[in-house]
Amino acid sequence: MLRIFRGTGVCRRYARETMAEIKFLTHEIGSLAKPPWLVKTNAGSPLDESDREHARAWGEKLRVKGYEELIALLEADKRDPDEIARWASRYALRLQEAAGVDYVWDGEQQRSEMYAWAIAHSNGFEPRGTIRSFDNKYYSKSAVTGPPSLRVPFHNEEFSFLTSVAEHELKIPITGAYTLAVWSYDEHYAPQTGRLGAGHGRSEELEARREFTLDIARNLVRPNLEALIELGATWIQIDEPGASTEADELDLFVESFNVSVEGLDCMFSTHLCFSDYNLFFPAIEGMAECRQYCVGFANYDRTELGTSGADRPGYEVIAKFRDLPYDPILGLGVLDIHTDYIEPAELVRDRILYAVDVFGDPARIHVCPDCGLRTRSWEVAYEKLSRMVEGTHLAEEALNRAHVAAR
Amino acid sequence: MKAFAPGIYPRSEALVQATRDLDRGRTTQEAVDRQVARDLEQLVQAEQSAGLDLLVDGMLRWQDLFRPLVDQAEGLERGALTRFLDTNTFYRAPAATSASPKLAAPLGEEYVAPLPGPRLLTLPSPYALSRGTGASPKTIAESVLRPQLEATEAELVVLSEPFLARDEEGSLDGLADALQTLAGAGPKLALQITFGDARKLLEAGLADLPVDGIGIDFYATHVTDVPEGLDKLLLAGVVDSRNSVLEDPRELAAFAERLRSERGVEQIALTPNGDLQYVSQQIAQEKLARLGRAKTATTEAAA
Repeated sequence: MLRIFRGTGVCRRYARETMAEIKFLTHEIGSLAKPPWLVKTNAGSPLDESDREHARAWGEKLRVKGYEELIALLEADKRDPDEIARWASRYALRLQEAAGVDYVWDGEQQRSEMYAWAIAHSNGFEPRGTIRSFDNKYYSKSAVTGPPSLRVPFHNEEFSFLTSVAEHELKIPITGAYTLAVWSYDEHYAPQTGRLGAGHGRSEELEARREFTLDIARNLVRPNLEALIELGATWIQIDEPGASTEADELDLFVESFNVSVEGLDCMFSTHLCFSDYNLFFPAIEGMAECRQYCVGFANYDRTELGTSGADRPGYEVIAKFRDLPYDPILGLGVLDIHTDYIEPAELVRDRILYAVDVFGDPARIHVCPDCGLRTRSWEVAYEKLSRMVEGTHLAEEALNRAHVAAR
Repeated sequence: MKAFAPGIYPRSEALVQATRDLDRGRTTQEAVDRQVARDLEQLVQAEQSAGLDLLVDGMLRWQDLFRPLVDQAEGLERGALTRFLDTNTFYRAPAATSASPKLAAPLGEEYVAPLPGPRLLTLPSPYALSRGTGASPKTIAESVLRPQLEATEAELVVLSEPFLARDEEGSLDGLADALQTLAGAGPKLALQITFGDARKLLEAGLADLPVDGIGIDFYATHVTDVPEGLDKLLLAGVVDSRNSVLEDPRELAAFAERLRSERGVEQIALTPNGDLQYVSQQIAQEKLARLGRAKTATTEAAA
């Protein structure tokens, strides 16, 4: 029995339950750290031997085709940042492919960052400096100062290049409308005067946010999606890490997703992280075009082994995703991306087995990290992803053994 | 009329880069320390030139409102990375490993930096620090915050409270007991309700809590919600720490005058409505300057 996912069929052909085999699809969520030779090239800084050694060692380890050409480029005083970024893309793809991940992407090697890249290629925004995300992690934040509009589809070149070099299937992430809105200051839509001591209620803020967000959905996100589909994209992940920022704006998040994708022929998923996921219900019952929710859970979980609910407190909420009326797949976050702790394969296995037990249908589970791994070194990211794939195989073996025994 | 800026201040672009580099092994702790010192010097200069009444150190090494105290307390540990209110900034939620956490030793100068003048220190309120740990606000106040207060030389300690105005189950009862525990521990105390509408708390008796001052966010709270004739120091949150738009000092001064004339508040300190770290350092510096100009304008008008 091979259940084909409606629309594109790119998903459930992996997460299938056949007479003889259960196999889970694994994928990466988004970002990876940029290698030092790219960071320094982008900054216009000179390289030293350790940078070339990094490129050489990882080129050999990952068997990057033609990496010697990169080494030669890194010997030069002047380097083309775009060319070096394309090499970083090759390495990032190979890092995931070598770890055994099924669906891959280049981890933002050619983008500045998920928010900054989108804003920098759009009209209507002005930079307002750097803000802390957490600890020593930061993001650049802009203000909307006029109606947002698209300058030019800003993922096309990247996608075309990745298509030409990836050995595994590709998924392409794009930052969602709600996150772009909520991560920006609003100097255009919201009232700017008369606020002091006025006790402005949420209604004024909500109306402004709605107008802003839907303008982004229509005029930035959707044109990009259309362009990517035209280029052959089959799975587009709409990243919405900011989705639950305002508990009373979840309907707006859903509306903006629907406005972005309505009527487009592609497999759309979304990525949510580091939130109280209970907040999403029931709002996302109205988001039926979302065929997969990729959600971070490991951050909230224990690290001891076990497959009972008590063993897996970080995954308590997953039953709510199971019960959504349109049966989306759950992209199960099994790697905590905030620590260097390498999750043992057995821990990954148990997290998957628990999820399968809750869902009762392995076809509705895919396996991924909680979020992008850009805050981890390549060494740590590679080990984490490798253990994720290994743990996924362990879960498959356990389920297939049980399946055979039950026959 | 006074003015000052409690809370975490944003790091400069240079310090942002230095701390990023430190995480990636590209620089040394000593280099970061030197940049922290430069940031602190720049902040103090900005405060002094703005004419602020109490100096703050900007909590430049604090990774979040709770971290140094959590790390320094026996029985507390760093919990899950958690979104701070409705921002894109996250903190490690305090978690308890014991029913009675206690501060092992007061924070050192890396977290409470020496300053060249009368100072203000910001700490988490007992409710905020105890939230989600299972320990009561009173326990946290007695065993964690009081030892810190007793070791603190400051004109004013502002207890920052970001959650109580938003928590549906939040109550002033436990907080009142906790604050009573802190009374007489040393510096004067103010409880600042950051980034939220304080109306319900004011109706429930916020102004009667055993502290010397109350902080209100006036971008979320209506001016008429302030009790008439409030006889405590009002930390009037008139600079919006979450908005890149720069305030007009004349509007701030006019608002302070309304507090005085319409609500009968005599002791007013103009402040941001929460940590300035939610805008960049460049914007924060300009907001500090405007806070100072608003204070000057208010004082001159009164004269």
